[in-house]
Amino acid sequence: MTAILELDGLTRAFGGLKAVDNVTTRVDHGELFGLIGPNGAGKTTLFNLISGFTPPSSGEVRFKGEKITGLSAHQIAHKGMSRTFQNLRVFPNMTVFDNISVGALGMLGVGPFSSLFGRSSHAKEISERSWEMLEKVGLADHADDLAANLSYGKRKYLEIARALAMKPDLLILDEPAAGMNDSETTELARFITGLNKEGLTIMLVEHDMGLVMGICERLVVLASGRKIADDVPAVVRQDPGVLAAYLGGDEE
Amino acid sequence: MSKSRLIKTGLVLAAFAVVPAVLVGFDKGYYYQIATLAAIFMLLAASLHLVTGVAGLLQLGHAAFYGVGAYVAAILGADHGVGFTVGLPLAGLSAAAIAFLVALPTMRLMSIYFAVATLAIGQMLYLVFLNWVDLTNGPNGVMLFSGINLFGIEIESDLGIYYVVAAVVAVSILVLNRLSHSYYGNALRSLREDDQCASAMGINVTVMKIQAFVISSFFAGIAGALWAYTTGYISPNDFHFSQSILILTMVVVGGLGSLPGVLIGALLLILLPEALRSVGDIRNIIVGLVMFGSILFLPKGLFGEVSALNFARRLLGANWSNDEGQKGIGWK
Ligand SMILES: Nc1ncnc2c1ncn2[C@@H]1O[C@H](COP(=O)(O)OP(=O)(O)OP(=O)(O)O)[C@@H](O)[C@H]1O
Ligand SMILES: [Mg+2]
Repeated sequence: MTAILELDGLTRAFGGLKAVDNVTTRVDHGELFGLIGPNGAGKTTLFNLISGFTPPSSGEVRFKGEKITGLSAHQIAHKGMSRTFQNLRVFPNMTVFDNISVGALGMLGVGPFSSLFGRSSHAKEISERSWEMLEKVGLADHADDLAANLSYGKRKYLEIARALAMKPDLLILDEPAAGMNDSETTELARFITGLNKEGLTIMLVEHDMGLVMGICERLVVLASGRKIADDVPAVVRQDPGVLAAYLGGDEE
Repeated sequence: MSKSRLIKTGLVLAAFAVVPAVLVGFDKGYYYQIATLAAIFMLLAASLHLVTGVAGLLQLGHAAFYGVGAYVAAILGADHGVGFTVGLPLAGLSAAAIAFLVALPTMRLMSIYFAVATLAIGQMLYLVFLNWVDLTNGPNGVMLFSGINLFGIEIESDLGIYYVVAAVVAVSILVLNRLSHSYYGNALRSLREDDQCASAMGINVTVMKIQAFVISSFFAGIAGALWAYTTGYISPNDFHFSQSILILTMVVVGGLGSLPGVLIGALLLILLPEALRSVGDIRNIIVGLVMFGSILFLPKGLFGEVSALNFARRLLGANWSNDEGQKGIGWK
């Protein structure tokens, strides 16, 4: 197995607080990789460091063997990385279809002149991709609805579909199951596993262990910014340090 | 699709058949002036729509770029004998070029600071119009005696001039329509909705914002040239901050993000004060009340995609987000 993503001594301090503290790990091609940790462990910050939203204080991120630290978010997206947000960020005043089209067009590119003349060669592909993803997440019937009018669960899928429309090599999902009930979570787990079976490498953040333990092949556990475990779920589950972190932390 | 085609056909018919017929019927210079003014402001509102309604950048200095176009056309025409066919595109390009220069340092500013920066730029350009007497003739303005000459044909009749203005405005609005209702428009909308999220989709936010700003200013410059060629006299007050606010009001009343709405907003705010001319100065109060009421009772304007209040709240809110690195200095 070759690594698609390598983190090397990644650290990020906010003032005196080290939100991410010297994290080193790797994600292999085709893996379904989990990242868990109690509230405030630094999971979202780690994702922001990987996707170029926050610059690291020190350390390095390599994606497909290439150093990407210092690149801006849109450049990293073009390398083939795509993410969702913990606090659900769809474009509320745009239709479902238009939301998804932004994922596709961000990658394929649109310019003012190409959309005025020549009927942009990308237009067809943008529309095909968008429909493909709409159908994949079962939102085709809602294509013309405003994103703001969708139910919470559907908006979650919309956000994932928009990320998928980028045709990424690595998809990172920040707490996709947050706010979902048990049956919705189970269905989401099935959906994510399905994407992974199709060959997509996925990095999944969860706050609670259930979902991740069930579907991930490998897990990293963060606590107070530090990596305290990095192994298969069965081993992580027994790890006394992990249990202590979860029991000692502010369990919800 | 067919609905928007219907609207387009209707508008074109109205602009090129119905309105001219009415104008010929009344045959008064005054009505021609109003029709031309309405057309020019429809273009101003449509161009501001692209940058503010679609791309979500609060531009408070639009009238200054309108002024750049007008001064370029007027000065080139009066002092250098440059005619309409060359002067018009040059006016647009000059406004676009200045917009580009201004955009480079300001585009990375956070939204509310960007709005303040455009206000300052508008004011600066206004002061240039007012005080650079050698170039602009200062408060006395510029007279342009040469009318519209299209490839050797002098357009002299009021109707002919109206047709030229209507044609330029119609083509410009079609271009703006195409830009805002296409995948390109979707990319711009994503900036308005959540530009950080748009960057995660691979969109180069800064570049796209600069593009929208430059294109919008180009068409403001075109509108300025039309104004200079049709009135034959321009002065700094035509491009004062209050004009920027008037254009912004057209966009808000019509609806942020909706081009048809914005065009109707422009018509309304040009025609209403004229229709109320007989009631004297109270008309300004009435117009003010209409604007106030429309924001209060129609938060999305007539046809808008975004509520103006939410839009403003988000612009201001961005200022208070405690994202690290943004604090205090206003840079993203
Ligand atoms: N921009 C910031 N400025 C200052 N401190 C921050 C910033 N972002 C995160 N932090 C702090 O860093 C720590 C880690 O936060 P982070 O959001 O990464 O945790 P998390 O593991 O994602 O938590 P949760 O499960 O609540 O999502 C927290 O203590 C948080 O307050
Ligand atoms: Mg988090």
